[in-house]
Amino acid sequence: MTDSFLLVGLSNVVQPYNLLAILAGTMIGMFIGAMPGLSATMAIALLLPLTYSLQPETGLAMLASLYLAAMYGGSIAAILLRTPGTPAAAATVIDGYPMAQSGQAGKALGLSLTASLIGGVMSAAALLSIAPLLGRIVLNFGPVEIFAVAVLGITIIGSLSAGSAILGLMSGAIGLLLAMVGMDLTTGTPRFTFGYLNLFGGIDFTVALIGLFSIPQAVRLIAKGDGQSGETVSKVRDRMLPTGREFRALIPNSLRSGAIGIFVGLIPGTGGDTASWFAYNEAKRFSKRKSEFGTGCAAGIVAPEAANNAVVGGALIPTIALGIPGSSSTAVLLGGLMVHGILPGPSLMTDHGDVTYTLLWAVLFANVMLFLVGLLFTRACVVVTRVPNRVVGPVIVVLSVIGSYAINNSVFDIGLMITFGMIGLAFDSFRIPTPPLVIGLILGPILDSTLQQSLLIGGGSYAIFFQNPISAVLLVIAALSVLQATPFFGSIGRLIGRRKGQLRPPHRQAGGSADD
Amino acid sequence: MRLTIAAALAATTTLTGTAGAQDSGYSQTEVEVMQGFKAGGGSDALAQLVQPYLAEELGVNFVNEYIPGATGAIAWTRLAKQAPNDGSTISITNTPMLTTNYIMNPSITYTIDEITPIANIVTDPGIAVVSSDSPFQTFEDFVEAAEAAPGTVTVGNSGVGGDDYFTSLQFEKAAGVQLQKVPFQGDGPSWTAAMGGKIDASFTNVGVTYPQIKDGNLRALAVFAEERLPELPDVPTATELGYELVAGSSRGYSGPGDFPSEDRDAMIAAMQRVMDNPDFQKAAADQALNIDFIPGDEYAAMLKEQEAEYQEIWASIKDEVQAK
Repeated sequence: MTDSFLLVGLSNVVQPYNLLAILAGTMIGMFIGAMPGLSATMAIALLLPLTYSLQPETGLAMLASLYLAAMYGGSIAAILLRTPGTPAAAATVIDGYPMAQSGQAGKALGLSLTASLIGGVMSAAALLSIAPLLGRIVLNFGPVEIFAVAVLGITIIGSLSAGSAILGLMSGAIGLLLAMVGMDLTTGTPRFTFGYLNLFGGIDFTVALIGLFSIPQAVRLIAKGDGQSGETVSKVRDRMLPTGREFRALIPNSLRSGAIGIFVGLIPGTGGDTASWFAYNEAKRFSKRKSEFGTGCAAGIVAPEAANNAVVGGALIPTIALGIPGSSSTAVLLGGLMVHGILPGPSLMTDHGDVTYTLLWAVLFANVMLFLVGLLFTRACVVVTRVPNRVVGPVIVVLSVIGSYAINNSVFDIGLMITFGMIGLAFDSFRIPTPPLVIGLILGPILDSTLQQSLLIGGGSYAIFFQNPISAVLLVIAALSVLQATPFFGSIGRLIGRRKGQLRPPHRQAGGSADD
Repeated sequence: MRLTIAAALAATTTLTGTAGAQDSGYSQTEVEVMQGFKAGGGSDALAQLVQPYLAEELGVNFVNEYIPGATGAIAWTRLAKQAPNDGSTISITNTPMLTTNYIMNPSITYTIDEITPIANIVTDPGIAVVSSDSPFQTFEDFVEAAEAAPGTVTVGNSGVGGDDYFTSLQFEKAAGVQLQKVPFQGDGPSWTAAMGGKIDASFTNVGVTYPQIKDGNLRALAVFAEERLPELPDVPTATELGYELVAGSSRGYSGPGDFPSEDRDAMIAAMQRVMDNPDFQKAAADQALNIDFIPGDEYAAMLKEQEAEYQEIWASIKDEVQAK
């Protein structure tokens, strides 16, 4: 039964009409994703009405390709303008922008494209082969387990603090505090809203992200002026396709990051943003040259890009197998399925198997299409880079204003974006890192709600986190990850090493920066 | 740049339907429909389903405006306080959030006295579900467990202030039991947690769980509807089991206060014709939307009744909930 659907899906997807839909979705998605603040979710939400008149399989193929392309589009802006087009591309900024600044914008974009292809094809393959089986595993992730995943995510803050760990922790703490704004999940009490209805739903982190990353950059460009040559928005002069040697070097990193992306995508409520930071952190942990991260290191681009495209397939797995969306974008996609008269859930694999497998194949084809379109289209970005600083700066501001408004059609959000822009400027002047703030802002609400839910389920006892095997293991990993960043862990390592010489090498490996 | 602005405009408004030529007695040719939620949500599904048919009947263009935030309160505050009352602006109104918003939060200041209810269109009845391997075979099993150990049976809902939360409170009152209510962010996470055995049961809605019930992943214990549902003939209603409980999540349309009564009548008449249209009925059935057409004054009465009921419930439990 499943085999025949597999073939029917494939023959559906290679229909010229459907391939055209994938091409159109890829082009539009890349364009929308490249604009600051226009996220993949919004790209899908915008295009959804257009698919009403299309055949279900054509419409879904278009939406899937749009989603994937928006993920890559986000990194174009991240690399060239230091302005992540989508939240999932925020981690790409850290190494992508410095690499572009050093005259290797093409290489940075090429790495991003190649990593996206590997991550995307991996997740598409996972989707096609194990979707019917994986549904059950996802069900094991309730509030208790998700809380543990979020705690693990918080430990990423430690490693994102380039420079001072204290300043990084402070930035992360501010992010967590800002995440507390809005209605309390269990009591409905508004917290820190000062009576503003607009703050009842909390701070939309996409809005904050646009302000934090793009406004300081725009101000920097305008302040610098056109007089000095040198730092403009980076040009794509060099070749994009990585050399064979570079390609081989990025394979292990891409595979690991792709696997992280699929895994994170599987967990409901976490999406490309979480996955890309997670992968970035792991790439740094595994790297032999940690100090290169943040200065334009290839691995720092490959990791988040492979992960955020792999999320797509991962997130589609629970959506398709169980009708449980794994991310906000797949939630919108699920809405698309319902519009076409298909009820989500296990019946998608039986009653609507032909349409479902067309969608799964479309994900695979869209990844390849994205690679081709990306190679051609990305060069067109050079047009943006020839514009003088004093034009680019204001254009970034205008795009940020439009982007922050368009997320919730809210004028209030424009003010919020500008406020975060000022915070970003202040952080830059005091050399406080901004990424930990973003992590705090993204994970804060997840931690908050899952902690309260877990405690309600556990009757108020914290023991529930240790009685549950999945969360216990994840929390222990998180604890180790925090410990390994402290001098304390290094001394334990040395102590054990002195007693049992043979134990030392594995400790050095597992214990990240224990050798500082 | 031009494309950017075009995209931003497209994000702001979506034109639906076409202006017909026939005279329906409606004073405007273009009507703005505010929604308190993001594009692609349940309110949008209603708008996309109803408005193309309604536009044809009424001879107007509908323009959707999405104003998400504060569970709809931003849009409804605008409807009550700022929207022009000349028939050019209406809003999708979702119950019970329309009333629970201001009952629970003093900083939300609109009330249903400041709006003109036009008609309710759909209702997704409430339902109690458990995992397929749950020890609760019947609703009675569930109630007995709740009676035996007060405050320990965990029951998910879609969030404080939502329909399922108030359904849980009403049930506690009707059955004299104490549940451990666990709020989630939406129906999906709530019934998923029940399906995975993370919580003992979930109070949720039929439309969102029907595929899982049909496939045997969730077991329905009782529906909170007036009568048994045709799609779930074996599931008893709470009322037949002896609990006075009819609840669900409804969506309809309302205008600002002092909405022109001719326009209101014209719109209700047009909606009635849409409801009778077999094409519309089929489209609604395809999307598993349960039509529950309650026109004009009856809708207003339903909102009033809900308001009184929720005010009473909230007054009795407010201190307990918010003191935590």
